[in-house]
Amino acid sequence: MKLAAALVAALVLAALPFITSSNYIIGVGISALVFTVAAAALNLVYGFAGLLSFAQLGFWGIGGYAAALTVVTFGGSFWQGVLWAALLNGAIALLVGYPMLRTNRHAFVISTLTFALLVTLVARDWVSLTRGPLGIPNLPPPHALGRRFDTPAKFYWLVWVFAVTTVAFLYALCSSRIGRTLVAIKQNEPLVRAQGIAPMPYKLTAFALSAAITGAAGGVYCFHLRIIDPTFLDFYYMQTFLIIVIIGGSGSFWGVIAAGIALSALPEVLRFSEDLRMIIYGVILVVAMFVMPAGVAGWLRERKLAAVREALR
Amino acid sequence: MTIDAGYLLQLTLNGLALGLLYALIAVGLSLIFGVMEIINFAHGELLMLGAFAMTFALPVVGLLYWPALAAAILVAMLAGLLIYEILLARLRPDEFERSILITLGLSIVLIHTVQYFFTATPRMVDTQYGFSGIAIGSIRLTWTRVIGAAAAVVAFAGLYLTLRFTQFGRAMRAIAQNREAALMVGIRPRVVARNAMILATGLCGLAGAALAPIQLVTPYMGQFLIFKAFALVIIGGLGNIPGAVAAAVALGFVESWIGGFFSAAWQEGAVFVLMIAVLMLRPDGLFKRGGMRVG
Repeated sequence: MKLAAALVAALVLAALPFITSSNYIIGVGISALVFTVAAAALNLVYGFAGLLSFAQLGFWGIGGYAAALTVVTFGGSFWQGVLWAALLNGAIALLVGYPMLRTNRHAFVISTLTFALLVTLVARDWVSLTRGPLGIPNLPPPHALGRRFDTPAKFYWLVWVFAVTTVAFLYALCSSRIGRTLVAIKQNEPLVRAQGIAPMPYKLTAFALSAAITGAAGGVYCFHLRIIDPTFLDFYYMQTFLIIVIIGGSGSFWGVIAAGIALSALPEVLRFSEDLRMIIYGVILVVAMFVMPAGVAGWLRERKLAAVREALR
Repeated sequence: MTIDAGYLLQLTLNGLALGLLYALIAVGLSLIFGVMEIINFAHGELLMLGAFAMTFALPVVGLLYWPALAAAILVAMLAGLLIYEILLARLRPDEFERSILITLGLSIVLIHTVQYFFTATPRMVDTQYGFSGIAIGSIRLTWTRVIGAAAAVVAFAGLYLTLRFTQFGRAMRAIAQNREAALMVGIRPRVVARNAMILATGLCGLAGAALAPIQLVTPYMGQFLIFKAFALVIIGGLGNIPGAVAAAVALGFVESWIGGFFSAAWQEGAVFVLMIAVLMLRPDGLFKRGGMRVG
């Protein structure tokens, strides 16, 4: 049922360039798909494994820079760039994730946050590699099979394929035994240990996979922007991913996907003022945490439970 | 490379002044964590509020340093009280992630509200001391730095005495050490948490006000400092106040030395490298949790 609905939604989204010829709307669509992928990856670590990771922002930036540098500095193709973005992120996540995951959940949050900040500083200060604040402009459009994805509509389809593939992969992962084990670790880690399952490999796998996917999403997104500079690591992106996960309902797979598509329109609607937009975002975050701590999905689930209880009375 | 002793001493003193200011921020975070198990993301913005209060108070009192400093601390404390009463008091215990996201939202709102009203243009702050300072041989320190460091030391002494000898401070330590036992002997966690929040934001306001004449004041100034303060709190052991102070002063030295001999990029990265190294060796930080035991 949910799967069928998701399939229909994906097909409707694929038809977007037929419905409108506005490059602006297609641009919003590209952002929506990429942000949804990044939010779904965050949902894997936060919603399923219960690890609030701010390192996603760093992985997003590393992915963007890795993809851009592969193409511009090392002369690779767009595809190689995205692949490198994913692989490099996976490797870095394994490396820094191990010490971070050994700590308690408080220290984990803070250390991931510090990691994101470090990436920003490296992007700004390692001028010989990243070209510092000037960034790398004029990223070429990707091409494959003799075609250039140079119009927004063509690029949109490329992003659509990327989004559908990664979301399908994440769905398979989250609904598999691994996904269930992650939820079990989140709910009661001592019990999981008592069952003879070591939590660390699961957590580390989730962290690394989510890093790889976030990196690939960042790599794709910087080719949409056609430029990468340290503002690609603006905390705004992290907030967007977080708000999507929270409003959608962390731990609810389709809730987060739906929220990703729906909420990506919000920043565009609010684009009339850069400052006011961020204020409204902050207020939404605070209010959502008080009114619907489990997001829309959690709220709906509660209504459903209440209805069942009422019927059984 | 020959190392000039005078230069090294200059770097060390600069590092000490810097480290003491870091410590003011980190101690506040540690205090709030110890009492409420909350990590306050908006802590850097309280510092920013303190610095902005300083920029507005200074011209009013004719560039006099001390009254403006007091005003900035009061503004930060008032903000802390409001934040506690409106937002944090409604959190139940063990809602760690929720507390992070609420204070994160608050921090976004504060930064952009200040930016909306006062623009992002950096402000310079002038005090009665201007850029004058003391010089010992080749070593030079501006008065604003000396006073900032001295004020921090006085604040720590005050904090130590409060936590050690007053009922108010003992209640805070009791809650941090054993919540259930503290409840049983009739300590009200709500009141204690509010006091801790006001105390912590006061320290933060002091840090902001002391920093205002030393560096540029912008709506974003709290953000970069808070990341460091977070790392320091982790290195020192979450909730451990002496640990936070020790880590902060050590970072001040390390940053200043690195900044004196290598490029600025290494200086900024030092804190993260230190944190990862410490976490590798001791996942709970250098000093144990529950170290609110100041005496």
